[in-house]
Amino acid sequence: MSNFPDLPGMKDLDANPYEPELASFDDMQGGSDDESVAKTGTTTIGITTDEGVVIATDMRASLGGRFVSNKSVQKVEQIHPSAALTLVGSVGGAQSFIRTLRSEADLYEVRRGEPMSISALATLAGNFARGGPFFAINPILGGVDEDGSHVYSIDPAGGVMEDDYTVTGSGMQVAHGKLEDSYHDDLSMEEAEDLAIEAVYAATQRDTGSGNGVYVATVTDDGVDITGYDDFEGAR
Amino acid sequence: MQGQNQQQAYDRGITIFSPDGRLYQVEYAREAVKRGTASVGVRTADGVVLAADRHARSPLLERDSIEKIHKADDHVGIASAGHVADARQLIDLARRQAQINHLRYGEPIGVESLTKEVTDYIQQYTQTGGARPFGVALLVGGIEDGEPRLFETDPSGTPYEWQAVAIGGDRDDIQAFLEDEYEEGMDLEGGLSLALRALASVSDEGLDATGVDVATIDVESEQFSALAEDEIAERVTELELGGESDE
Repeated sequence: MSNFPDLPGMKDLDANPYEPELASFDDMQGGSDDESVAKTGTTTIGITTDEGVVIATDMRASLGGRFVSNKSVQKVEQIHPSAALTLVGSVGGAQSFIRTLRSEADLYEVRRGEPMSISALATLAGNFARGGPFFAINPILGGVDEDGSHVYSIDPAGGVMEDDYTVTGSGMQVAHGKLEDSYHDDLSMEEAEDLAIEAVYAATQRDTGSGNGVYVATVTDDGVDITGYDDFEGAR
Repeated sequence: MQGQNQQQAYDRGITIFSPDGRLYQVEYAREAVKRGTASVGVRTADGVVLAADRHARSPLLERDSIEKIHKADDHVGIASAGHVADARQLIDLARRQAQINHLRYGEPIGVESLTKEVTDYIQQYTQTGGARPFGVALLVGGIEDGEPRLFETDPSGTPYEWQAVAIGGDRDDIQAFLEDEYEEGMDLEGGLSLALRALASVSDEGLDATGVDVATIDVESEQFSALAEDEIAERVTELELGGESDE
């Protein structure tokens, strides 16, 4: 369909629906997989409750899994009035992914006068992960909308799976052990926070890609609240 | 580009304001809309009704080839008045944008968002040299978040939201009828009657059921549904809108 892309400010109606509106993937460069790329290794956890969502992440970035390149990484970021995303995989890819999703969610909200639903945000995130240059990311999206609390895991090929609770990152098997033992479907927000912190703690004890403390995000109707603890005693 | 004397006549150059700040080509396009047969939209608590006059200029013309009401997506219908060929371009745009929303967000597009995609596109044709504006107005009706919504687009690219509205020929008379007769809280059947009565109000010979197109989008199913000819005929008879030919 013809339109007038020559004039500034005019919308390109033929824009690829799988790409961000404001930056074509052609303009971005994916990173290369070598040992100089900071990876989060990581344990990130998302748990839904009736009141909202709890997300917990460890604080370690590493190079090739052998060297701790940063001990205080915040791996969960707000991307929407009532949703947050975790950084898992290459730090650069995940940060770019977060910036992209945040701008798309903002643009959607100012245009339409209401925030994107969490399932729309998950679909969009899956489209970008599948077609984009974001390079081996495996984040968790957690958010609250009028349908309730949602947690999605998004895999590097764009797979989007909703669950009551989910874990991604190198420490996922250890953390899942704790969750499988202790999760139940009528957790309060406080209980879910304690459980998420315990599960991250367990992963940091055995997974070399995870460690150095925990960030906890709580997502409710009122918004997103993120707090960091550089030792687990302070968090519990 | 061309020399300055190319577009001195401000009633011909689309991108040129007249000295008193008017865009004559846009106003002429509105006249083109008035030359078309009327379409009516009514929003009720239960859904939206679209009705259009599509009487044929010859009995030999196949009725179904006159297209005035179109499905844009499962939950949105569009009625037109004015240049049908222009309308088809905009309706295809609306259909594509509706599908893009599904691909992008996995959700049906909002009626307001869809209308604004269309009006933003129309607006480009009022600000670009060498183009002509769309000689068509549209009624975009559908369900958004469980609520019925009804919008109008005009050749300037301005979106308007309505409870009940008419576009095309006899617009002013039909609109006056709607203003007198519209009741808040009417059900879908009431809206359907109002739309048919509004179209009949400007017709001397009465309504011919084969010359009317009707579609509804109700809040329960959230589905566009076109009425069959016998369903329309039944209501025309019931409401005694048929004039002589039915008696």
